[in-house]
Amino acid sequence: MVNDNKTKILQVKDLKTYFFTENGIVKAVDGVDFEIYQGETLGLVGESGCGKSVTAFSIVKLLDYPGKTVGGQVFFRGEDLLKKNEKQMRQIRGKEISLIFQEPMTSLNPVFTIGFQITEALKVHYKISKPKAQEKAVQLLKKVDIPIPEQRINEYPHQLSGGMRQRAMIAMALACDPVLLIADEPTTSLDVTIQAQILELMKTLLKEFNSSLIMITHDLGVIAEIADRIAVMYAGKIVEYTDTRSIFYNPLHPYTYGLLTSIPRLDMDIEKLDSIPGLVPDPLHFPEGCKFHPRCPFATAKCRKEEPVLKEVENKHLVRCWHFEKVKEEAKKIAFTGRLAVSE
Amino acid sequence: MLSYIIRRILILPLILLGVTFLIFCLFSLLSPMERLATYINDPSVLKNPQSAQRLIDKYHLDEPFPSGYVHWLKSLLRFDFGWSPTANQPVWEAIMQRLPATMELVLYSIIPVILVGIWLGVISAVHHNDILDQFIRVTAIIGWSLPTFIFGLLILFIFYGMLGWLPPGRLSTWAQYIVYAEEGFKNYTYFITIDSLLNGRLDIFWDALKHLIGPIITLSYISWAYLLRITRSSMLETLRKDYIRTARSKGVDEKTVIHQHARKNAMIPVVTVAGMMIIRMLGGVVITETVFTYPGLGFWAASSAQQLDYGSIIGFALLFAFLMVVGNLIVDVSYALIDPRVRLE
Repeated sequence: MVNDNKTKILQVKDLKTYFFTENGIVKAVDGVDFEIYQGETLGLVGESGCGKSVTAFSIVKLLDYPGKTVGGQVFFRGEDLLKKNEKQMRQIRGKEISLIFQEPMTSLNPVFTIGFQITEALKVHYKISKPKAQEKAVQLLKKVDIPIPEQRINEYPHQLSGGMRQRAMIAMALACDPVLLIADEPTTSLDVTIQAQILELMKTLLKEFNSSLIMITHDLGVIAEIADRIAVMYAGKIVEYTDTRSIFYNPLHPYTYGLLTSIPRLDMDIEKLDSIPGLVPDPLHFPEGCKFHPRCPFATAKCRKEEPVLKEVENKHLVRCWHFEKVKEEAKKIAFTGRLAVSE
Repeated sequence: MLSYIIRRILILPLILLGVTFLIFCLFSLLSPMERLATYINDPSVLKNPQSAQRLIDKYHLDEPFPSGYVHWLKSLLRFDFGWSPTANQPVWEAIMQRLPATMELVLYSIIPVILVGIWLGVISAVHHNDILDQFIRVTAIIGWSLPTFIFGLLILFIFYGMLGWLPPGRLSTWAQYIVYAEEGFKNYTYFITIDSLLNGRLDIFWDALKHLIGPIITLSYISWAYLLRITRSSMLETLRKDYIRTARSKGVDEKTVIHQHARKNAMIPVVTVAGMMIIRMLGGVVITETVFTYPGLGFWAASSAQQLDYGSIIGFALLFAFLMVVGNLIVDVSYALIDPRVRLE
């Protein structure tokens, strides 16, 4: 798409991950396509429960029971990860694809030192000696701007502050110079000031390591900072997929539009903050037709019956909506007046 | 870490002092004459008021609380616990003579408790809801709900009464003769299983082991069943934790994830429960030894209780209080060894 001249690192094709629960099948991810090029950051945005984290865990095949990937392909450097067995996957995890998790407190093991946890991936994948691993841990902690790393490697997670722990998580993910990083809401549990620092750090390190990143978040502010392209997910499907600029200045899907108008903004004179009406649909009983129609101000009879497909409607701008033109007009109005035409 | 251990050890005498105080309070409920009876080996002395009064004065038995307590404590420090009519020897001697038998039983019982309890608990959690897990759980629930004396009798009935494999007592008569009477048999540890090997007597080792298996199974069943339940639920909870996913995301293999990342965390509540299990086991010793007529402290304590042998009961209570406090100290220290968050508080 945008970076045709760059190497394609990951290509996800029609990924389907279902959870086989006692009450029925939950289609958490239902036909997701996207791709990432070297050094690029893709933002995966959506409300909680829309399937963005499940998409990430499907890629590295770390789904919790009873989740199962039932269809699709995940090409990582040309090889389909879904065809690989557990042993082959282990060689990829932590070495070529690493993950950064949301809650650094609970994602770090409380009974092992920071140093041990950072170097574990190195020891697993490269079988390096202990003093060498120790040395590398200090280097990595320096990279993520942790002061006195020589001391920190012997400390336990509870001795570090939240921001420090997330830095340690990042150091851990970078230990083996991965090709692809997947960050699942890495800044959500942090203070706003720390959030900005972490994002800045991640941007710098991505450039240095030339790694690609899938950034999963519900926070459009975060995504605007870091992503090159954005895929907006709703109810297990991508509803809009384009570059970051277009998402913010030219949203074509009513859900994206809703998300944008619900961001508090100081530069606009808005009396009441908008929110998207209704709730995320129950994954066991998705509505017929377009899954967003019960909450959509643009919905018509067609939306209730037929589900739209994700198609390229403008240059490299994919959207899953029958009425994207109306959304475009509406969005323009806001940009023009700085004021929402509040839907009832 | 070291300061933590030192602090725990410094508290130890204080706890023991509290225990002696409680026991003394109960002891004071008896009249001076009754208390005197715990110190003498010839009951006829009590019939003569003058000689009895002389002895009461000697042991400071009718003094008011503070000085009476201090004198009693002093006598404890001299290991003068009184006379045990049940054992027909001084209480301290009776304790020291029976302690090795009970320690042998308890220490051997800890092995199945830890190995089977924790090992099966981990297996049960890893094979969550499989047939294997169901089988292990049913076995554990039976152990957990079966009273020790009934289970002990069952073991005795089946393996001694019906099959004749596991006899009661500590040794067969022929082996007793060799161990206790023969010149050549040297006692190094007073653990017969160990001493027999050191003396090169495999036949006695085998005999001692046969006598131990029944009591070990009986004493340990309830404890490992309980430990298994705790380990299983703790393991299941730990395996759902975020840091387990983190470990997997680093490419760590499943074996390391379970036995290193998960188990070390899962052991934290297990160690806490282990403290309770020490109490359980010491209590279980009385019943188990009585059922198997195993000549240890528990058997002696049970007989003493039936004969209102106060001196022996107090001695037994003090010793078990001491063992329990030491046991809890070990638990606290291992707690700190496992969990770094405890260490630094």
